Amino acid sequence: MRKMLAAAVSRLLPRVAPKPASRMLGAAGTFADKATFDIKPCELYRLEEGPPATAVLTREEGLKYYKTMQMVRRMELKADQLYKQKFIRGFCHLCDGQEACCVGLEAGINPTDHVITSYRAHGLCYTRGVSIRSILTELTGRRGGCAKGKGGSMHMYGKYFYGGNGIVGSQTPIGGQVAEAFNMASLWKLPCVFICENNLYGMGTATDRAAASTEYYKRGHFIPGLKVDGMDVLCVREATKFAADHCRSGKGPIVMELHTYRYHGHSMSDPGVSYRTREEIQAVRSKSDPIMLLKDRMLAGKLASADELKDIDADVKKEIEEAAQFAITDPEPALEEIAHHIYKDNPPFEVRGANPWIKFKSIS
Amino acid sequence: MAAVAASAGRLWRLRAARAEGHWRRLCGAGPLRGFLQPASAGGDAAPRRQVAHFTFQPDPEPQEYGQTQKMNLFQAITSALDNSLAKDPTAVIFGEDVAFGGVFRCTVGLRDKYGKDRVFNTPLCEQGIVGFGIGIAVTGATAIAEIQFADYIYPAFDQIVNEAAKYRYRSGDLFNCGSLTIRSPWGCVGHGALYHSQSPEAFFAHCPGIKVVVPRSPFQAKGLLLSCIEDKNPCIFFEPKILYRAAVEQVPVEPYNIPLSQAEVIQEGSDVTLVAWGTQVHVIREVASMAQEKLGVSCEVIDLRTILPWDVDTVCK
Repeated sequence: MRKMLAAAVSRLLPRVAPKPASRMLGAAGTFADKATFDIKPCELYRLEEGPPATAVLTREEGLKYYKTMQMVRRMELKADQLYKQKFIRGFCHLCDGQEACCVGLEAGINPTDHVITSYRAHGLCYTRGVSIRSILTELTGRRGGCAKGKGGSMHMYGKYFYGGNGIVGSQTPIGGQVAEAFNMASLWKLPCVFICENNLYGMGTATDRAAASTEYYKRGHFIPGLKVDGMDVLCVREATKFAADHCRSGKGPIVMELHTYRYHGHSMSDPGVSYRTREEIQAVRSKSDPIMLLKDRMLAGKLASADELKDIDADVKKEIEEAAQFAITDPEPALEEIAHHIYKDNPPFEVRGANPWIKFKSIS
Repeated sequence: MAAVAASAGRLWRLRAARAEGHWRRLCGAGPLRGFLQPASAGGDAAPRRQVAHFTFQPDPEPQEYGQTQKMNLFQAITSALDNSLAKDPTAVIFGEDVAFGGVFRCTVGLRDKYGKDRVFNTPLCEQGIVGFGIGIAVTGATAIAEIQFADYIYPAFDQIVNEAAKYRYRSGDLFNCGSLTIRSPWGCVGHGALYHSQSPEAFFAHCPGIKVVVPRSPFQAKGLLLSCIEDKNPCIFFEPKILYRAAVEQVPVEPYNIPLSQAEVIQEGSDVTLVAWGTQVHVIREVASMAQEKLGVSCEVIDLRTILPWDVDTVCK
């Protein structure tokens, strides 16, 4: 089993050099406008052809992806810090390491497409357009949060983004009901991309101890599938574009497995090292960190300078600090509001609190 | 499937013809007798176990809703669904076998009238039906899901309690699945045994966020179902299957609403309050008149109608 896991981890490590296949110098001569990179080809299931093996990255896109990934990374690390300082309570599932997945996904779809995900949702919430400030404030449970402080880590919503769901697998409809969702989507040719962010562990259980078949992109059975390198933002973007086109052209659903890795444990109460070694985490961090990969590419393709990227890092850090400051100083929602919005258009009624003598009023 | 429904229909007609709303003691059927007799009884005049009987008591013809028509319970349901699909272009009906008309004929004619995009079958998976219903409702369409028997609602329990009921609350009112209504045949019929007889309303009665409704008659059913469909919260509507054919009343043809969370005092009394819902209302009515006659006790009979949120004031007053 350890061998299989080692093999899975080694698959994450990049085999593609960051050197660009070609590049075009910009007018100023200092930076290129764009560069073309080779990306790892996706493994296909029930598909004749897959996403392209090269991707074009413009300077603008590169900077945007870099900044967004850094924002997600820093936001997650800040959330870690706030949790340990007990500003964030309850459950907190961090997605650092998986930034390429949410940024690549957003790059491959339209802002008006609909996205729903599981509890490891902060990154996707940001890429879908919710501000860092709203997210961090929601985590600290204050009024300024995107769900008014009531939803917390797992229940963040935005336009065209339906959360954030606490029940495991509930986003699929939902859970063990994956099979039925696949069935209905395929039967009715619904334009739905089913994405599995395979970070090799389901909470504390390695995939090969929990799944009879770990080739998740094939688990759609009658639904075509793609296995994508989830640490490479360009690979994710191209695969997502391909998958979205597949659906939009009326061919029905498609499954996308993103091979990725999370540095933190499953949640903040999981140290993350009882079921895997620190060496493994370190290996992934040093060899296939998504932000590092993008940075290397941009430098090699002369799309940006190291200093420019450092400036972006500093900006990001500042923005996150400000957002965190707001998040811990914003007042909490009034306790009276705790029972609101249970029903709609209902006359106000009383909801019992923690003991029979505490009552809250619920208004719709 | 159609053959089964047809033979079930024939069985019902036979019963209805013989019984007129009464259940006869199953003394005629030879082999069944053996089943129903307690083991201790000999072949002599020992008391034979009887299936509990009740008489459906129709309400007087409603005057205030316009023209009425004689309908039984399933026809009243069809009428309510027909009104909904006509009024609301986003309304869709789905479930197992609803396309041909449903195993209890509640959706007969609707697919022909409104098209296969609005009345369609789902795969045999209750959690899928409700999950799918929640999704459709979130996009804004009016989703009317059928669970073929209330006994099968449990695979969808997680969807109903963890997802549907909490959708609005957990998103701070940003999203909701309020336009979802789940309707399901409910209650015992005598021969339903373990999995065609259940009354699961109690499992849902303590789940804030959903509404649970059980009507006692065709007139009540149509008004309550229309209210459930139009209500902005996810609702579960249980239809007493024993009344599908047995209950016949004058029911208005046009749509009308009976408010939810309002109990109805069917008979006023001063000594004791009897609260019931669904089929049991008719049993309780009989009990009330027996109590008056034989014991001189004046009973107040209340039909709760909405189980959750229930009308505390009317019952406690």
